[in-house]
Amino acid sequence: MIWLEYAIFQRAIIGGIIIGLLAGLIGVFVVRMRLSAIGYSMSHSAFAGAALGVAISIDPLLTALVFSAVTALLIGPIADKARLPIDMITSIAFSLNMALAFIFLTLSPQVGLSSEVASVIWGSIVAVTNRDLVYLVILCSVTLALTYLFWKELFAIMFNRRMAEADGINTKPFIYFIIFLIGIVVAFSLKLVGGILVYALLFNPASSALQYLHDMKKIVILSPIIGATSCVTGFFISLIFDIPVGSCIALVSTLIFAFSVILSPKRKKEAKI
Amino acid sequence: MTPVIKLKDVSTVYEGERRPAIKNINLTLEEGELAYIIGPNAAGKTTLLETINGLLSAFKGKVSVFDLDVRKYGREIRCQIGYVPQDFMVNPGEPYTALDVVLMGRYGKIGIIRRSSREDKEKAIKAMRLLGVEELANRPVGKLSGGQQQKIMIARALAKEPRIFLLDEPFSNLDPESRDKVSTLINQIRRENNITTIIVTHDISQISGSCHRIIVMNGGRIIADDEPDKALSMLKKFLPKEYWWSKP
Repeated sequence: MIWLEYAIFQRAIIGGIIIGLLAGLIGVFVVRMRLSAIGYSMSHSAFAGAALGVAISIDPLLTALVFSAVTALLIGPIADKARLPIDMITSIAFSLNMALAFIFLTLSPQVGLSSEVASVIWGSIVAVTNRDLVYLVILCSVTLALTYLFWKELFAIMFNRRMAEADGINTKPFIYFIIFLIGIVVAFSLKLVGGILVYALLFNPASSALQYLHDMKKIVILSPIIGATSCVTGFFISLIFDIPVGSCIALVSTLIFAFSVILSPKRKKEAKI
Repeated sequence: MTPVIKLKDVSTVYEGERRPAIKNINLTLEEGELAYIIGPNAAGKTTLLETINGLLSAFKGKVSVFDLDVRKYGREIRCQIGYVPQDFMVNPGEPYTALDVVLMGRYGKIGIIRRSSREDKEKAIKAMRLLGVEELANRPVGKLSGGQQQKIMIARALAKEPRIFLLDEPFSNLDPESRDKVSTLINQIRRENNITTIIVTHDISQISGSCHRIIVMNGGRIIADDEPDKALSMLKKFLPKEYWWSKP
């Protein structure tokens, strides 16, 4: 474990823990509000943004953030205004962003799958900087504070959006806010996990946590823990076997999900009934 | 008497549909009034309720509640309406307890950012007690029977302490004994608090003796709106007998 003495790995572990916590928390909203298609689309829009950053040689995080924020701000209102199903809009945004991402990567001045291009696609342990950690801590604090403040509304929307509306909660701003947050979290996760697999981190921990518990308050605690565990375990597997960290994190989180389904106490109880 | 709900020439069209689900509806309900809406499937009963509370906003004409335009003040109005939707069933794996669901009824009233207080929780428990489901408070709501879930949804509407009840087939999953008890309870609360109440039903036998008027709907229109006896005789003229007490 001599690696751990290096600042670069310490940063990656701390970054991984924060990203895992954040994605695990946001993932609960994604799964419960049935925003999976949006999460998928947002992760690829951040990917396209990062690819553009690589192509024009500016910070990929910045361009990923811009792409995510713009997509996040457009998806909800376009679906509402055009009266089109949100799935249709997100599917079109997904194909557009993937097309853009690969065009930008082709235009990259670096040759073939250079380390920067590869890190955008697959994620990289060495990509997390001190500045990223500061941003991640700020983002994590803001997300936790907003979740705490608006927990009541989010809790009701996650139960049933229409009933929340019927009870006098204006659900639209909260849905838009969650979509926006998905975009930002995805953009920050991109460096570690990579554009293609970042979605796994949004979806798998929350889906795993839902297999164990009947209490939403406990689920929003367990899901981030699973997210952070996936990141740290994936990080070590990546180091040991020298394979892309994003793939390792996605594999670990998928395995946790598979075990959760098999071990689910909820399912066992249901089977007995 | 003060008019609480007013609809003027209201037609509501669902997204992607050409024909309105309700057409040219004119309706006024006074404070404390108890009205039943009756009619066959696809008569527009649920659409009418959801147009009143503003959940369906694509309508022509004017809907006002407490003299407020539903289009402009939908959220504020919904905070004052106890709504029980038709056949609302929760999946068995849903991570919410029965108390969570009842307490949510108060969230709009509590207001943004503020957290639910002990008083809110007591009101939710009281509503559950009135419906005889207090002991289910900590059970996952999705694991409850259809009848128990329906009582939870009614408790949610009661916990809100609304000024209007909009109840869409609220007794459809209850056994006859529970139906009578819950119907009596709603009526008692309505009388004590002067709550304007609309109850949608398929079944004439569910209509309470305290009912002030019956609104008969068919094909998206109100075909009768009168005192119970007169409206029911109209109902018999317009609709075949099998509709009178058929379930959806």
